[in-house]
Amino acid sequence: MSSLALVEQLANGAVIGVFYALAALGLSIIFGVLRVVNFAHGELYMLGGYAYYLLAAISGVPPVFAIVGAGAAIFVLGVVIERLLVEPVYSGKVDRPDEYAIMITFALAVFLQNLALALFGPWPQRPSPLFRGRVEIGELIISGDRLAAAGVGVVLIVALLIFIRWSSPGKAIRAVAMDRETAEVLGIHAERTSRLAFGLGAALAGAAGALIGPVFTVTPTMGVIPVVKAYIVVVLGGLGSIPGAIVGALILGEVETLATVLIPDTSRALAYKDAYGLVVLVLVLLLRPQGLFGMAGRRA
Amino acid sequence: MRRQSTELALGAVALLVFLFFPLAGAGDYWIYTVTIGFYYALLAASWSLLVGYVGRISFAQAAMAGLGAYVSVLSARHLGWPVAAGIAAAVLVTGLLGLFVGWLSLRMHGAYLGLTTIAFGEILRIAVTAEHWLTRGSLGLEAPELIAGGSRTAYYYAFLCVLILSLAAMWMLLRSRIGLFFQAIREDEDGAASVGVDVTFWKVVAFAISTAFAGLAGALYAHFVGLIAPSMMSLQEMGFVLAMAVVGGFANILHAALGGVLLQVVLESLREFGEWRLALFGLVAMLMLRFAPDGLFGRLVGAIAKERQ
Repeated sequence: MSSLALVEQLANGAVIGVFYALAALGLSIIFGVLRVVNFAHGELYMLGGYAYYLLAAISGVPPVFAIVGAGAAIFVLGVVIERLLVEPVYSGKVDRPDEYAIMITFALAVFLQNLALALFGPWPQRPSPLFRGRVEIGELIISGDRLAAAGVGVVLIVALLIFIRWSSPGKAIRAVAMDRETAEVLGIHAERTSRLAFGLGAALAGAAGALIGPVFTVTPTMGVIPVVKAYIVVVLGGLGSIPGAIVGALILGEVETLATVLIPDTSRALAYKDAYGLVVLVLVLLLRPQGLFGMAGRRA
Repeated sequence: MRRQSTELALGAVALLVFLFFPLAGAGDYWIYTVTIGFYYALLAASWSLLVGYVGRISFAQAAMAGLGAYVSVLSARHLGWPVAAGIAAAVLVTGLLGLFVGWLSLRMHGAYLGLTTIAFGEILRIAVTAEHWLTRGSLGLEAPELIAGGSRTAYYYAFLCVLILSLAAMWMLLRSRIGLFFQAIREDEDGAASVGVDVTFWKVVAFAISTAFAGLAGALYAHFVGLIAPSMMSLQEMGFVLAMAVVGGFANILHAALGGVLLQVVLESLREFGEWRLALFGLVAMLMLRFAPDGLFGRLVGAIAKERQ
């Protein structure tokens, strides 16, 4: 294929990678602090999409504020979920906490997905995106709405990195992720930090959903496939590692786009698009379970 | 002791109820519904064997059932095999795949194991959907009947019979030393290994047993309902199975099986509530996990056993 087409595909892959990164970062933060893989993450992403839809399309809020609003709403939801469902893992109220966390977040996913289905119906919604039209960089053409959404995504990622690195709550998050007990001994309120981490992780997923919703439509099942991608990214990058999540996301975005293009039988290649990432996941789990940037021995 | 005899009583009562149910004038619609309930019961029970007794989490159960269904139907349609041979093939193939996945995931635990099983289940579903020259993809595949010209009642008893035999087989396995091995693995793998339990072997075998029963359930379902589609392999279906096992009691195969039938009946009874039913199941499953992990039937048996003391 021509080099222009290749560059276009690479650009597309990078754009998709930004969205994967947002969702995956949320998952990574939640795992890092709470040691819980949030199987309901895809539904938080989906509800972010619906929150954006409700704000932008129904209430006529300008798109940028709708994104912020959606993120805030899902943050609150995340805090509530942590308080009600996840906190018992730490306060010793359940036997077999690992199993409990896995099953209860899976059940939560079932609940949220069908709740959305019941409330909004299965029909796709298409709220207005941030930017319409196409963007041309020289001979390269990228759809404007995707580029704008990816741009905002990058801003959010940078903001998150700054927050985690330099703010007090951000440092608390890193401390608890590193060693919960020592952090508590040093006076960090682990419970509050856990709540913040879950809310933050949820907000990132919600923001990703709010950004993508207008691009690919908002439906109750929109979170199912992206969340599997988020798991792949997080495992590939290393569970709990933030730079890992970003690198992993870009790798996955590119692998999917290129694999689709490079396999000759186009309709088959497209149908299997989601499977490439799954194969990557299994390979990583088998060969290098700690991921690219994770520490050996740290496992879910 | 009180508890054990109460459990047996529960089993006996359930057996009697289901044996006489069609004769009590239930009508074809409900007989059909409960037969579907038996499908879910077998799925939930085989899932609980793996998750509840061995402690190995898996989200691939629905996908394995679907695989069994497709293997059986394809061998009938393309190879001209009789239905019984197709079902046997389904059990064999899903069992073998279970051995493979069990072996691959030997060193994985908890959420990583869960993710791996999600990955496998989804790969299966995607492959079945994509290879539409073979499977007709999302259009679905028609399956030959199990019982030529069979009535709803005939299928009901056939399914019930297989369910009872399967539960009996599982129960005998779990009562034996192997059942103790399973529970030892669940509680403390290293400790079990240190007293001589072949942890590797039993983990792999447990996975295979669980998936083989799922494949059996799927194959029977196919030849009963007459039409299968990749949607039966979805994570949504897996969510049902999980909710059914959790609500019934996922640490006990009988409780999980009863949970399967119960939730299927409730699902049908609340038809007019549409999607709210499924949200309700998710909610109830969460409440159960949080407040009553031994499930409805676990609580019931516990309460009755206490009364009898």
